[in-house]
Amino acid sequence: MSGRELLLLAAGFTLWAVAFVALYAMLSVGCRFGWDGIDLAGGVTVQRAQLVTLFLAFLAVGAWLAVHLRTGPRAPFLSRAAYLAALAGLGSIVFSFAAVFALSECV
Amino acid sequence: MAAPFLTGCAGPLSALAPEGPAARGAVRLWWIMLAGGGAIFLVVSAVLMLAILRPAALRAFGPRRIILWGGLVIPTIILAALVTAALALGERLLATPRPPEDAPLRIEAVARQWVWEFRYPGGAVTFDRLHMPAGRDVDFTVTSADVIHSFWIPRLGGKIDAIPGHETVVRLRADRPGVYGGVCAEFCGTGHAAMAFTVEAHEEVGFAAALAGEVEE
Repeated sequence: MSGRELLLLAAGFTLWAVAFVALYAMLSVGCRFGWDGIDLAGGVTVQRAQLVTLFLAFLAVGAWLAVHLRTGPRAPFLSRAAYLAALAGLGSIVFSFAAVFALSECV
Repeated sequence: MAAPFLTGCAGPLSALAPEGPAARGAVRLWWIMLAGGGAIFLVVSAVLMLAILRPAALRAFGPRRIILWGGLVIPTIILAALVTAALALGERLLATPRPPEDAPLRIEAVARQWVWEFRYPGGAVTFDRLHMPAGRDVDFTVTSADVIHSFWIPRLGGKIDAIPGHETVVRLRADRPGVYGGVCAEFCGTGHAAMAFTVEAHEEVGFAAALAGEVEE
């Protein structure tokens, strides 16, 4: 078992954790600078736009990771587990953060 | 037998005895989560008993299906329901801005080791005793003069941090006049446990009179 395999096993949920910290941080930064009060176009604020962009970027990286780690059911256990964990991480990104489209930005 | 476990469910600091819309929302969510958690516990216990007493029945179900349903489908349904309930209730608790003519009363709460200072629109100031009108929304602007504290009136709503150099806002309403308890809900030093305050919710006339009385003191 190599260190690389172990790292790949954790890749999906490490990406989820990084997305969590990034979105949380940028939410606070945006609220502090009043980005929720700047209308970009059609009622979409700078705050909403940057959070949605960040979310879509992490979604794209998650999807790339899942495609990159994709293996069939006969692959070695760790490779298969890394692929399934990447899929679960991708699902978790959607589940946890898709609310950036709808929820209140700042109070 | 349940008595020892239920003694914490009443009294001036009971979050389970809500007296305002924000606290009611939190209690509703608490009951939904208790029911969800209880259901998961019962199902897991039942499967465990089945594994011990009738392993053949469980084996007939097959390991793949157990993992798929028990590990993915059912938890996803339950978690999605809980998250939806939490987000919907959370949205309703926010102190969203309102037009000036409809703006809630604002009371400033300043925390310092280990006392609460309340400042009212007319210039009145009270310490460790908060007067508020009943039956309408009040926005509490919370900040701290030293370390991080937390402003919490359990029977009226959720807590909010008091952060030095920063203002946080929590919107609370007391349904009816009464006396409630408030505490500091973030450890802030050796005097933390004693950093409590009293909340007096008055009728509109009584609120003005109470503030006038405080100014004269």
